[in-house]
Parts: sequence; structure tokens; C-alpha cells
Amino acid sequence: MLKNKVIILLLVFAFVTVLSACNSSDNAEQASNNQEDSSDTSDSSTPDSGDSGGEAEVDYDPLGKYDETITLSTGICVEPGASKSLPEGDTLEDNEYTRAVKEDLNIELKEYWSVSCTNKDQKISLSIASNDLPDAMIVNRVQLRKLVEAGQIADLSEAVKYALPMSQDAWASSDGKALASATFDGKLMAIPSSNHSDGSIKNLWIRKDWLDNLGLEVPQTLEDLETVAKAFIEQDPDGNGQDDTLGIMGMDVNDILYSTFLEGADQGLGSIFYAKDAYPGYWVEGPDGQATYGSVLPETKEALSFLRDWYDEGLIDTQLGIRKDNNEPIIAGKAGIFFQSLWAVYEPLSNAWKGDPTANWQAYAVPLNGEGKWNQTVNATSNNFIVVRKDYEHPEAAVKALNYRLTYGDYYEFEHGLDASHIPLRVDTQMRDQMYRIAELIERVAIDGEPREILDVPWEPSLYEQDYDDYLEVKKEPYDEYDLEYWNTDNIVTLPRIYARVVGTRPIRDPNRNDISSLVYEQTPTMSERWANLMKLETETFLKIIMGAAPLDDFDKFVEDWKKQGGDTITSEVRDIVK
Amino acid sequence: MVKDTTMGSRIFDIVLITLLTVITISCILPIWYTFALSLSSKTAAAAGQVWLWPVDFNINSYIQLLDEGQFFKSFWISIQRIFLGGLLNFIIVAMLAYPLSKSSKDFKHRNILMWILVFTMLFNGGLIPLYLTVKSLGLINNIWALVLVAGAQGLVFNVILTVNFFRNLPKSIEESALIDGAGPWKMLIYIFIPLSVPVLATVTLFSIVFHWNEFLYGLIFMTREEFYPLQTYIQQMVIVLNPDIMNEEQLKMMAELSNRTLNAAKIFIAMIPILLIYPFLQRYFIHGITLGSVKE
Amino acid sequence: MSVSTETKEMVTSTKPMKKRNNSPKSNSFVKHYYLMLLPGFVWVTIFCIVPMFGIAIAFQNYNPAEGIFGSEWIGLGTFEYMFVLKDTWNIFFNTLFIACLKIVGNLIVPLVFALMLNEARNMIFKRSVQTIVYLPHFLSWVILGGIILDIFSYGGPVNQLLALFGLDEPILFFAKAELFPYFLAGSDVWKEFGFNTIIYLAALTGINPALYEAASIDGANRLRMLWHITLPGIRTTAALLAVLSLGQVLNAGFDQVFNLYNPLVYSTGDIIDTWVYRVGLLDLQYELGTAVGLLKSVVGFIMIVISYSLAYRYTNYRIF
Repeated sequence: MLKNKVIILLLVFAFVTVLSACNSSDNAEQASNNQEDSSDTSDSSTPDSGDSGGEAEVDYDPLGKYDETITLSTGICVEPGASKSLPEGDTLEDNEYTRAVKEDLNIELKEYWSVSCTNKDQKISLSIASNDLPDAMIVNRVQLRKLVEAGQIADLSEAVKYALPMSQDAWASSDGKALASATFDGKLMAIPSSNHSDGSIKNLWIRKDWLDNLGLEVPQTLEDLETVAKAFIEQDPDGNGQDDTLGIMGMDVNDILYSTFLEGADQGLGSIFYAKDAYPGYWVEGPDGQATYGSVLPETKEALSFLRDWYDEGLIDTQLGIRKDNNEPIIAGKAGIFFQSLWAVYEPLSNAWKGDPTANWQAYAVPLNGEGKWNQTVNATSNNFIVVRKDYEHPEAAVKALNYRLTYGDYYEFEHGLDASHIPLRVDTQMRDQMYRIAELIERVAIDGEPREILDVPWEPSLYEQDYDDYLEVKKEPYDEYDLEYWNTDNIVTLPRIYARVVGTRPIRDPNRNDISSLVYEQTPTMSERWANLMKLETETFLKIIMGAAPLDDFDKFVEDWKKQGGDTITSEVRDIVK
Repeated sequence: MVKDTTMGSRIFDIVLITLLTVITISCILPIWYTFALSLSSKTAAAAGQVWLWPVDFNINSYIQLLDEGQFFKSFWISIQRIFLGGLLNFIIVAMLAYPLSKSSKDFKHRNILMWILVFTMLFNGGLIPLYLTVKSLGLINNIWALVLVAGAQGLVFNVILTVNFFRNLPKSIEESALIDGAGPWKMLIYIFIPLSVPVLATVTLFSIVFHWNEFLYGLIFMTREEFYPLQTYIQQMVIVLNPDIMNEEQLKMMAELSNRTLNAAKIFIAMIPILLIYPFLQRYFIHGITLGSVKE
Repeated sequence: MSVSTETKEMVTSTKPMKKRNNSPKSNSFVKHYYLMLLPGFVWVTIFCIVPMFGIAIAFQNYNPAEGIFGSEWIGLGTFEYMFVLKDTWNIFFNTLFIACLKIVGNLIVPLVFALMLNEARNMIFKRSVQTIVYLPHFLSWVILGGIILDIFSYGGPVNQLLALFGLDEPILFFAKAELFPYFLAGSDVWKEFGFNTIIYLAALTGINPALYEAASIDGANRLRMLWHITLPGIRTTAALLAVLSLGQVLNAGFDQVFNLYNPLVYSTGDIIDTWVYRVGLLDLQYELGTAVGLLKSVVGFIMIVISYSLAYRYTNYRIF
């Protein structure tokens, strides 16, 4: 019975597809104008499956108003007590934001369930298990996979065309990784978030004034870095006549040695591992082409051996992993080299400048590996996914609701005091290199003389023009010189934001940059139980090896222990996901 | 008991009284501490200055609590729940326990029925089918979901306790009633229930306490905060089980972020009904449990 | 005690009547018995027996869109997976370990406390102590969890107290996996010991006072009386309680663990019930969660049957 139905359906579908294929030759181009990353249009005989149905011209207006009121129910996670911040009489279903959505889009936002964010997974799971789904909700990767396997959610390949250009740009900015992560069997089953990766890039921050004092070039390779670090320690770069300077700062007690696929390091020594082509803490392809945990690969052992030698020579801060606060020697002008993202400008650098306004900290895409590449691990592209219930009549309404939130959400949050959690279907669609874009645009106006209007970009509306004004205030001419002397260090309030975006993003623009993504970014079931202990084992072993408290060959024992204590199970879980 | 007034015995007494006092205080100290905390200033609480007496005495937490309409909504839901749950439990337990207290000679299928009940107490299909059942009955966001689901679970235990009590009642009373021509319903209502006040009060207390204290079903069957019973509401506010915690730092930070004085006030208010009820029912449950469970 | 002698007389006096009168009537009673049972059984059927069909999930590849009746049957695959999974052994061990700690603590501490209380002579004192120690039993783990988490927190009173005794670094109690099971058992015993003394106290009042008088005349001191009269007098009760608690070996207390644990103590503190909730529900592994829950039910049922027959055989006591 059922089989017959399926066959009939397939026949009908094929028929419709052929029909639409005949029509589509002339309208395919029009449709493709509305979407940036459209598939190849010349091949009109095989149109997108989502395009079928034969509608002649679809106007993919991201904020188009429905003629008739439709309802869109969602599951929301709300911080407990957040309802208190709503004005008297307003509810999660009926507040300034939902009324505006009703007014502008003719979509009535309904609350299918709401729950505190810590218990969100329970409600989602019950929704899935009982096949009692809201029209749309936000899920994580694990939940998304389950929904796809059970066939509970709608194909959004068509609905996604309603997405704002900024979202399309954002998804495109990760080379399609974002959309790929929500695509199953060629169908887009969810609207993925897109998070910028700029915070995960660990620049080499170095005192350029010290380099100049000692007549040294900016280092490029690990060997260069070794020379510079040695010189910084031994040759009194600050010229105070005292032997009080340190080499390369590592990590303090509150930090981790390198970023992992779950957690970003603050400072740490990840970049040195990466220059040795080792990716501890990340899931990468092993020698057998299978997903493997980077920390147990031989490259990591080599990198550890290398770091061990450096530590032994005193090039790395001897209080590695013990120091109470790594920022303290940096602020005090005792250290001249550390690895951190562009956010280093806020802390510790802005404090360092308070003590010494001449500390010319610059950021570089260093150290390079043997092939001249600057390897950097990056964070996940997408963590959250909007899914739509299978039989919901207006899947694009979820996209429109997202569009509305991306366009006006901040306005309602900041101007009307709504709590972020009152706004349903919040996922971010940021450019993968959002921070760098700011710098690029500002400099195009300031240096290349392009019109100010280009600053009016959709991703961070209104903020860029403010940034540009601030830029003019703190940056001295010439605009293409970045040393601290060309900055107005008196304005310590505005300086960090602009310095971080202009100087801190320079390594991001470096042509040598080579991003390394983890094969998975999610916690598998065994991880939620074992990971904390495995990570502890890893950190302790690696620190001991680097600091010479344990022989290098303890690494092999670590690998064995790691596998035994759940690592093997986790690896097979990860491989299941990747395959 | 025998009087013994030797020196050793006196010392024994003193040690004994001291020990008992210390243990007793240990039972009430945490609750007193919470009370003191709820009456202290936020800064004192955050700095950990509060011990056994409020520091910077004020009732701001309670005033703040008055603003939290949901707390009282939830409080009211819980009150309704214990009323409905307690009443239902009383009636059904008495009606189940009476036939089941008969010997299998008088009531042939008594044993198999009892085992069925015990079986239901131990086996369950997990939360998902339970959720599906409640949903198909249309009881999502309905207080009866809490009353009926949680009530069904404590039921069998209460029945066992009551059956034992009924069985230990003197047979003669029942028999003389039989002679007077009492049917089973009259027997239950006019003879067994009045004679079993201790155990019925006990199982009703158990059921009330269970309904008052249970929190998980509120979280499962209610899709909005406004339907939460009190313990569910408090669980959301006070206990933050964050699945993303990966290290001690985060755990510490979380603890620091919480509003200790307000939480203490909530906890304290939530305890009050229990503090009011149980001492008065004390003499019943002592008899109820002892006679219902262990005969000498 | 006077009641019982009275009733005994009544029993003997009415015995002949019963033989004659009861049998025919009780047949007509049975119909009413079923009527009385009906509402309760309907209740239990809807909310306990019907959801039991969910056990089927353990033998299926559960597809929520198809429901329990439409999902594919895979036989025992989930159980095979369950047994190779290390977690299964770990949570069963944790559950057993924590439950046994609690059972032992909850048998011994109330016994000792009851004996101590029994020695106290001032009735008002005795009554006040009893009333107060019952209190924690009636409070929920949500409430107590909130209180305990606060008291043992990083800056809480316990750590401050320890600091007074010269401990440098405060202990984050809830992050120490090796301490956690004892922490659970300790707090549970603290919560329940008062209430658990009730049965012991009742058993103690059942001891014939004449025995003490006789011993006192023979010159026995209080410790000797405790050893030779009191303890033997409550031996049966203690044994019975021990047997009954067999049924609890897989119940380590969901509410308590759920409100006190965190990922740092999963390795030692995760019990079957919390694991089933987390892995089975939150991590969407419905089949595995159901399978583990079923295994727990089966073991629990066997334990109840064992304790039922043990109690019946050795103490002639019928639990139900």
C-alpha cells in the first residue's frame, strides 16, 4: 500500500519537474538574480529540486508581508525571570517585538513552549520524541541529525532564498561550510548560524619598539622567533640596564595551553604547535584519513619535544601554567612576546599603554610552518540551526522571522529594553571575518578615498560609521602606518576598539593564513562524561613534558591512557558523525 | 524505666544529652542559616559574612519576592496540587486497601491484584511514553497531569502501608459489624476508616509532601513557567545544572553570580507549609508507620 | 497492650459466628470489592500500565515520526550495545555503591540514634528532639539542594570554617568526584535518620519493662542492659528493615543526585536514573535510555521478590 503511494508520488513529482524544466529555461536566470550563491543556471534541465512546482516568478523578498495573517509557533528558551523585564501586561507572545512582526510581516509569533535555557534540551527532546514540534525552533547539531533521520523537518532549500543578503554573504564567507553543515542528501534541512572566527585567530603580539632597539627584523619562522626571544631575554631590550625581561609568555593558571574544538584559549602556545603542523585539541584527519584527535598524533609529540627544548633554554616563561596572571608582566613591560587574538588590545594592551604609552605592540601572522603557511585553528562556523516542522505550510516564514530579527532585533533589544531571549529564532549570521571587514572598509574610505557610504553595510548597521568617526579621532596620519606613534594614545577609551579592529586584524588579512577547522565541534555522549577528565590528563601530561618534569616518552603512555579512558569510544563516535 | 543514679550514669546522661542536642541542632542549623541569609544584605551574603545571625538586617529579599508574581502563582498551583492530590490519594488508597487487606480465602484474586500493583510500581516505560499518554489525554499544562501522574506513583506504596494497617486491626470489630449486617461499603466507611486515622493521615501526609516536593513533572508536562508548581519554579531559579560546565572555574563563577539572599528567601518561604503541617501530624505518622509496617 | 488482650477475648467469643455467617456473604462482597478497586486500577492502568508500552522502544530503532507502533524492530541490538558500553557498568556500579552506602548508613545511624534517644529520660526533651530531627525528611531535594550547595560552596560557611582551621585553599566540594558518593550518602543519612528512627523507637517501646527491672535488681548497669536486653529486643526489626531495603539497591535517589551533581562528578555520581534522563532524554538516545531503564526495573523487581520471600521465610512478615 504505502509503497504504491510512494511510487505514485514519485511519478507525479517527476512529471511536475519535467513540466517546470520546460518553463524554467527563461525564468531560471531571473530567479538566480535574487540569490547570490545560486547553482549553475545554464544547466536548465536539472533545476534545483526546491525550484520545482513550476511557479513562474517568485519574489524572494526577505521582509515581504503576507497577505493573510499566518501563525508561526516557536520553542523559546528564556532566562528564568526574564518575563519580569517585560512591561506590565506584555507576554512572551504579545510584546513590542511580536506586535511589530505582526504589523510588518503579518506573522503572528506564537509560543509553543518556553523553558529556561538550561532545560531547553529536555523540551526539544520531548518535542522530537513525541513528534510534537513547534513550527520552528533552534536546535544543535545532534538534534538536527536526529530530526533529519526521523524525517520530521522540512526541506528549506527553497525557503533559504528568502534570507537576507547579509546572511547569504555570511554563509558564503565560510566557503560554503555553514550551509554544508545543514545539508543532508543535497537538501538544506536547516538554516545554520554563522559565527565570526576572528576571535579564534591567535596573533603573535610583539614589542616592535624592542625589535627596533635591538636592530632586529620582525620574525617569520620558528627559528627567527627563537633568535628574537633570546635577544629579548639577554640583550636588555627595554634598555633599563637590568636583566628583567622575559621571553615568550605561555599560559597562566586560568588559561589553557591551546584552543580546543570546545573551548578557546586566551593566550597559550597553540601557534607554535600549529607551526609544527600539530593540531592538539582539534579533530583532524589522521594518517589513515579517518577523524583523529590531534593531541594523540605524532606531530604533537614532535611539537612537545620542540617546546621542551625551548623551555629548557629559558625561551618560554618558566612559570608556564603556574603564573597567576599572564597579563601582569605584559602590562609591567617585562614581556615582549605573546600569542592572543585581536582582543588582546582591550586586555592587557590598553592597560600596558597606561603605564608606557610608547609600548609599540604589533600583531603578525607568525610563526610560519615549514611551507611558509601560518596555520591557525578556527572555531565552529555554525552551532545553532533553525529547523521547521515538516508539514508547516510556510517554511519561509521562519526565514523571514530570522530576517526581521537580524534587521530590527538589536533595535528592540537596545531601544526598547527587551531581553534578548524574548526574541524568538535568534541565530547569528556573522561574516566569518567580520572584524577584518570593518578594518578593510574603514581603510578603503580613509586611505583609498572611497565614499563614506560603503560603511553602511548590513552586518553591523550604524556601528561602522561610528567606528569611522572614532577612527579619525584616534588614528594619526599617515593612515597606512600602524606603529603606536601614529595613534592618539591619550584617548584610551576609544583607542582599543579601533586598534583591535585595525591593527589586531592585520594578521587575519595575511595571505599566508591557513585555517584549520575541527572535523566536529560538538560533544558526543561519551564526551559529556569523560571529556573533563581526559582534558585534565592531557593538560597535565603536556605541561609536565614541556617543563621537563616528565620524560618525552610519557607522551606514548598518555596516548594509551587517553584511548583507554574513553578516548577510543569518543573517537568512534566522532567518526560516526563525520562519515 | 529504671532509675540509676550512680556517678557513671550521670556522666553518661550529660554526654548523651549533649550529643543529642548537637545532632538535633545539626538538623535545624542549615535551615536557620538560610533564614539568616534571607534577612541579610546582598553584599554581606556575597562576601560570606553571614553565619547564624543576619548581617545588615533587612527584608529586601522578601520585598523583592513580592514583585515576583510567578512565585506566588506557583505557590498557589502547589497548594491546589496538594489539596487535589491529597484528597484523591485518601479516597483511592482507602478503597484499594480495604479489599486487598482481605485474605485470599475471602477474596480469591487478592494476591494477583496486589502483585499487579507492585509490578506497576517497579516497571515503567520511561518519560517519553508517559509524556505521550499525558499529551493524548490533553493534560499538558493542566494541573491534573501533576496530580494524576505523580499521584499514581506514590499510590502503591501507600496502599501497602494501609493494607498492613487494616490487616492488623482486630478481626473482632469487623466480625461484630458483620453480625449487625454491615456491607463492605459501610464497613469501610464506618468501621475501617475511623479506626485507621493514623495510617490514613500518614499516607495523606506522605502524598501531600510528595506532591509539594516533586519538581520534575512540572518541568516535563508544563510548557510555560506560568504553569510551574513551586518546586519546579525554585529548581529553575536556584539550582543551575549547566550541562556545559567543563571545569571548576565555571562552577565557581556560576555560584558567584547567583542571588543568594533572594534564593534563600524563596527557599525559606517554600518550606513554610511543610513546617506548619508536619508537627501536627506527627503523632499520627508515628502510629501509622509503626503499625502499618512492622508488627511486634 | 490492654487493647490486644481485650480483642483476643472478642475474637474467641465471636469465632463460631464467623464460620456460619461469613462465607456466603463474602461471596456477594467480592463484587463490591472489585467495584472499590475499579477507580484505583483505572488510574494505575492509564498512568502506569499504558505507558509501559514504551518499553518497546528498547527493542526498536525508534523513529518519532512513525511512533512506537510504526518504528522498525531491531530485537536485542540496543541491549548488546548497552553491555559493551562502559558507561552502563559505571552507572550500575555508581548506583549500587551509592545506594549501599545509603542503606548501611540509614540502617545504622537511626538505630544508634534511637538507642541514644531511648536512654534520655526527660520526656519533653525527647519529644522536641524527635520533632526537630524529623524535619529534614519532609523537605524536598530542591530545597535542600539549594541549601547544601550554598553551605558547601566556594565561599560558603563550611569553607570559611575550614579556613579558620588553617586550610589555605577552599575546597570546591561539588567538583571532587572522589568525595561525591560519600557526600550524597552523608546528606541523605542526615536527611532521613530522624524519620527512620520511628520504627526503631516503636520496637524499643515494645520491649517488656519487666526485663529491665529484673536486670537492674541483678545489678546490671545501663550498658549491659543495652547489650543484653535492648539490642536483642529490636533484632528482628533491624533484620526486617535490612531485608526490606534490598529492594532499594538500584534506587540511589534521582531527586538528590539531580539537584546536587554537575559534569565534574559524573564519573562517580552519575546513577542509572540521572543517566537515563540525561543520555536517554537530553542526548536523544531514546532506545538506550529505555533499555537501561528496563534493566533497572527487572533487577529491582527480582530484588523485591527476594526480599519478599526472605522476609516471609525468616520473620514471617508479609510485606504486602
